[in-house]
Amino acid sequence: MKKRHPHKQNVLLVNITRLGDMLQATPTIAGMKMENPDCKITVLVEKQFEAVCHTIPNIDDVVAIDLGMTVRSLAREQEGVIDAYEYITEFVEDLRSRNFDYVLNMSSSAYTALLLNLLGIPNKGGWSSDDEGYRMIESEWAQLFATSVFHQNRQYNSLNLVDVFRCSADVDLHPQQLLINVTPDNTEYVEKMLQAAPFTNDGPLVVVQAGASQAKRQWAPINFIRFIKLLVEESNCRVVLSGTKKELQIIEPIVAGVNSPNVFVAAGQTNIPQLAALLKMSELLVTGDTGPMHMSVAVGTPVVSMFLASAFGFETGPYSEGNIVLQPVIGCGPCNPNKACFRPDCHTHISPEMLAELTIRRLQGDFTSLPEGYADPGRVIIYRTFFDENGFYDLMPLNTEYDSSYMKYREAYRMLWLDELGGFKQEKKKSAESRPTSKLQVIQETHSGFQGIEQVESVADEAHAAVSELQELIKDVSAPATRLGEMSNKLGELDRQIEEIGFHYPHLGPLTRMFVFAKENISGSDAYELASQMSSIYSTLKTRCEKLQRYYS
Amino acid sequence: MGSDNQKISERMRADWDRRVSHDYRFWMSDGYEDDHSMWASGARDYAIACSGIADTKHKTYLEVGCGVGRLLRSASKDYEKVYGIDISQEALKHAERFLASEKNVELLAGDGLSLKPLEDGSIDVVLSFAALTSTPVIVFAGYLREIHRVLASDGILRLQVYTGTEQKVSAEDTLHLRCYTEENLSKAFELCGFELQWNRELVLPFEVSSKEFNIEARMISLRKVSDAISASTKEIADTLIPGGEGETTIDVSGCELEYWMALQYAQELAERGDTSRARETLEYALTHHKSTTIDVRDVMDRIIDTIERKEQEGGSTAAPSAPTRRGELFERNLRALSDTFPEVAAQVSRTEPQSVEVKESEEGVVLFAEGQCLDHPTKPLSAARRWAKSALIKDDVERVCVYGLAGGYHIEALFELTSTPISVIEPRQDVFEKALWCCDLTAILPRLQGLTIGNFKRDEVGAGSELLLRPQTVTLSPELAQEVKSVYYGAKGISSLHPSITVLGPISGGTLPITGYTARSLTDLQQRVRAIDMSPFAGGYNALEGYVADEMRQNFMRGKLTEALSDLVLEMANDKPMDILICMAQAPITIETLTELRKRGVITVLWFVEDYLRFHTWKYMAPYYDFIFTIQKTDCINAIKSAGCSEVHYLPTACDPGIHLPMELSEEEKQRWGSPLSFVGAGYHNRQQTFASLSDLPFKIWGTEWPECKPFDRMVQEKGRRLAPEEYVKIFNATDVNINLHSSTERDGVDPYGDFLNPRTFELASCGAFQLVDERTYLPDVFEAGKELVTFNSRNDLVEKAMYYLEHPLERETIARAGRERALRDHTYTKRMEEMLSVIYSSKYEHIKRRQDQSPWKKMLKRAEPHAELLERCEIAFKRGEEPKLDPLVSDIVSGEGKLSETEQKLLFLYHIRKQMIRMRHEESGK
Repeated sequence: MKKRHPHKQNVLLVNITRLGDMLQATPTIAGMKMENPDCKITVLVEKQFEAVCHTIPNIDDVVAIDLGMTVRSLAREQEGVIDAYEYITEFVEDLRSRNFDYVLNMSSSAYTALLLNLLGIPNKGGWSSDDEGYRMIESEWAQLFATSVFHQNRQYNSLNLVDVFRCSADVDLHPQQLLINVTPDNTEYVEKMLQAAPFTNDGPLVVVQAGASQAKRQWAPINFIRFIKLLVEESNCRVVLSGTKKELQIIEPIVAGVNSPNVFVAAGQTNIPQLAALLKMSELLVTGDTGPMHMSVAVGTPVVSMFLASAFGFETGPYSEGNIVLQPVIGCGPCNPNKACFRPDCHTHISPEMLAELTIRRLQGDFTSLPEGYADPGRVIIYRTFFDENGFYDLMPLNTEYDSSYMKYREAYRMLWLDELGGFKQEKKKSAESRPTSKLQVIQETHSGFQGIEQVESVADEAHAAVSELQELIKDVSAPATRLGEMSNKLGELDRQIEEIGFHYPHLGPLTRMFVFAKENISGSDAYELASQMSSIYSTLKTRCEKLQRYYS
Repeated sequence: MGSDNQKISERMRADWDRRVSHDYRFWMSDGYEDDHSMWASGARDYAIACSGIADTKHKTYLEVGCGVGRLLRSASKDYEKVYGIDISQEALKHAERFLASEKNVELLAGDGLSLKPLEDGSIDVVLSFAALTSTPVIVFAGYLREIHRVLASDGILRLQVYTGTEQKVSAEDTLHLRCYTEENLSKAFELCGFELQWNRELVLPFEVSSKEFNIEARMISLRKVSDAISASTKEIADTLIPGGEGETTIDVSGCELEYWMALQYAQELAERGDTSRARETLEYALTHHKSTTIDVRDVMDRIIDTIERKEQEGGSTAAPSAPTRRGELFERNLRALSDTFPEVAAQVSRTEPQSVEVKESEEGVVLFAEGQCLDHPTKPLSAARRWAKSALIKDDVERVCVYGLAGGYHIEALFELTSTPISVIEPRQDVFEKALWCCDLTAILPRLQGLTIGNFKRDEVGAGSELLLRPQTVTLSPELAQEVKSVYYGAKGISSLHPSITVLGPISGGTLPITGYTARSLTDLQQRVRAIDMSPFAGGYNALEGYVADEMRQNFMRGKLTEALSDLVLEMANDKPMDILICMAQAPITIETLTELRKRGVITVLWFVEDYLRFHTWKYMAPYYDFIFTIQKTDCINAIKSAGCSEVHYLPTACDPGIHLPMELSEEEKQRWGSPLSFVGAGYHNRQQTFASLSDLPFKIWGTEWPECKPFDRMVQEKGRRLAPEEYVKIFNATDVNINLHSSTERDGVDPYGDFLNPRTFELASCGAFQLVDERTYLPDVFEAGKELVTFNSRNDLVEKAMYYLEHPLERETIARAGRERALRDHTYTKRMEEMLSVIYSSKYEHIKRRQDQSPWKKMLKRAEPHAELLERCEIAFKRGEEPKLDPLVSDIVSGEGKLSETEQKLLFLYHIRKQMIRMRHEESGK
């Protein structure tokens, strides 16, 4: 695998605000240790996650930033602003004193990007900013991360963000699952807790995480009631409802609706390490795209997971083999994470009965196929998680061979990025898996193809030639400045054309977005050197156009 | 309750009868040396208390607690009918004797609780000075109700009170001063149906306030605004002192104070040599106050010793210095003066002035002018030393300027305390000359850095100076004191105060551009300024007539819109700090908003740049402004003062050299905007009358409201549209002779009584454009006719001079150049704003400073001190008038404009943290 900074001694990992993100970084952390056994790894997290970090293997030190207090200080205004400023000054000084040689920031937030520049660590990965405050994304893998989460491009990505994150840190070797430690005292606590449960069934212990982080991802309590009734009344299951105290307002109506001694509420009774112990003791977790989902695969418990609304299974699905992912098929999904939804129709694409049936099936063991006609692939795709030959996470559709018109693009891009960014040799697979299943899809595919790519190629050619001319002008000291200006304007115009083609043909979005990021990262003050960097970017774009067509065809 | 009040009333009467019988001057006046001093002090206090009340000739006046009539005598000269009421029968007996010749004065024996027999609404002005200050709170509250009852609608109450730390005084105490908090007083006034007009510190020639005890003497002006009061006397009293006054624990509350005061007085009388009165006073103290707990045996012994010593010496007051000795003293002083200040010495007359009296004291002679004692009457040097100590000269002061020389005792005392250079302003030539005759100034004069008599030099009280005002001199010469204060506080305020100033413009009209000039000039003076541009609302405002046909209804709707815009101003005050609001004439603001802003401590200012005779809004708005600046002088100022604003000052319009400037025009521009003769302005009656006869001249008219008929159809340019300032500046520049005829809606041509100057006068001059302007009363004060501009007094004069100057371009050029120089030197908006702020700061310096010291910025700036760049950012945001929070600190950080400093990065870091956290919260809540 291609690597920018293979050797690391003292690493800072910036992963501040979400538990899920922290867990998703565990293969990267473990991989770094595998590749650099003497390396010290420090993570920077929000204060509330500090304790959890001590349960994650391979972390040597934890630095916490108290964002809540900082925001409260700012809200006090006046002296509060100075308090916050002084706190941050002290915080930055502390980090600087630790002399890190490598920092990885996979959060796209502006403040972490600014922090990276403030720290002045020599080798950087992920989001950073330059001295003038402009955003910079270090490494192409991190640019791919940014490209993939860009909403219009999401459907064209099949690389799990865990892998993209890992590759951004130049980590090749890695465990094929997330990691978290479960301590005996937490196990003991959960055992005692469950002893209080008045279960009358003696079947499998299933944890259900009903609460979701966003309102539009919240499957309705009435669905959960029906689903859990089927588990406890028809399959002898013991169901434990996990969650936070806050989520009790979702859970309580479910418990009342099911009204069974075989439903036990653990929500509000467990902290994060105790929840990990509970998940480890259970046989399956049924959930949405949540923090507990990542925790479950980290303790080795399989999950059946619904990817509703903005959630996208390829992107953030459960990172281990043999999990079930349900992705509703709907024109608007996966939707924009930053937009509210007042009529979440995608929720109706998964029925409680189907979910219960899949749960029971998965409790019986891992499976790689489903009976013919099992679920309408026009409403929901049921995937199984697996790892490809290069160790990258992937999803295999079980109720269809052809999940959507995006499938071929996803595969082509996957091959392109693994080849271009990772240096993994790609062999074109047989197209059997990508056979359209409906007339409409055939029409869509025939008409869409990789339209527009020739235009990108052509503009890239023209730009490349223009850069060559520019380089000549730079070398020629007698060249008029106006000419240089004209060339610069021309290149600006060509760049704009490339970007606009990407907007016009959505399937070219990832390609052109990567180009834009590459242009943003051009740095230096020597004109010729800058032109050389530009030349290389246009060459790369041209190469990628060629490869993309090849992988697609 | 009723019988309790009755007891209080009886006690008040008994206490005051006793005191008056002992010595009415001592207990009821500060001028207690003799009756002459008492009447002088009464005249002084009356002038202070009733300042600004005009048109009194046909009005009725009442003084509550008139005592022996100390102030009534002065009032009787002003009012048609004067009532005085007092609870003390003894005091009234004296008053009857003193005021027997004043036929319009009627004295009433009060019951200490009400104003019976006065009828409801029968009085126009009520005053209570140094009277209700010593009454129990329940009595004070009852009188507030009663005063409201007897006052006519819109009647005025002038009240002397003490504010600051609330005093715990027994309810039966009739001597101790009651001190209320400003907040409680305001609430009580509101309950009683009064509206605050102004609230000022009371400054007398002696100390009436005590910083040590946080007691400040105040004069308050109130206006009756509602006819009914719902609150009871008890509720008003509870509002004044929420905890209520304490129960008395001794037989005669306040006796210790009375005892102590009597002893002090006895000592003073003894030292003065008035031994018989000293013995009487000592006896008074001993006879009436046996129950006191103070051990004053030492004091008693000292008084008795002094009395005996003085009796042995013969008890006579020291005779004035012999004239021969005075002559020698004058010569010695004059020599010292000539050595140090020859130019001052040259102005000194060799005749001793008789307008200033001299009395001896044991510490030297004391000067008196107009009944006003200019130093302490008995111990001038000791008192001067106490004053000097309290004058608090700061270490970082470059020099001290003292207003008032008098006998020079306080200057001597200052020299004992400090080596800081001292200069002196003595406003009265006669006082100064008398001092040369009677006081030994030879030690002081050579040490003074500056001395000016009857005037002052601006740099003496400029930046770096500490101004010390002698109250006695301020009382004697208040006008010069005001000028000195304006310059001093202006310089000090502009450099050290940073109030947040909001300039509120009108919706439309000629004042609109002045709003911008004003705001820009304040910014040039490094003030924190925000201009509120109301012109975007003009479209809707003017469109109303398209929706409603009836003019009254249109005006009603315009009023509604004004109310909405006024509320908008209030919202903006909630949004960003506001310390001073400068409203331009016709700004959309209501009485309610002004009242609310004043409650919040905002200083309200109106710059009324309109003819007060033509626009009358000041008549009902005046009481709601702390300051009104006008473009007209005496009559206008008096009229607005009578309408209820006490601070009214003349401030003409000006020019903005950034806009009104000479410019090079292209041939095309000259063609479009130029003409041999031009006029820019609206088509008022007198202009139409005058210019109709100029149709045979090469004359272009620009502006709105001109008739479309002949002969104007060929003279008026571009369909009489409204012009932007940048456009009319081009016209000024492109025209050979600019005619400036001030508007009149009544006259046919030049208004023979026209006084104020329109902005065009200054703007034309600033552009270096030649102008022919109609004669105006105020014009000679600002421009020299014939040298800096040319005037005309009639239509014929205009034509004659226009023709002459068209033929003499070099003369035109010389005059225009001189006009521009004068405009830039004396008549810029920056100059005007300096003047405006000087006036505001001269009386509101402490108010603004207190607000600033208490403002959250103060603490924030202090905390930011260890971080130089952060401090600088805070200061910039502060000066911009922003709130003390993060956003203004980051608002001007721009990515891509060069390398970000570490401080900028940290601030952006904080900014984005907050943004991210808010975003995450929204995500969680599904927004």
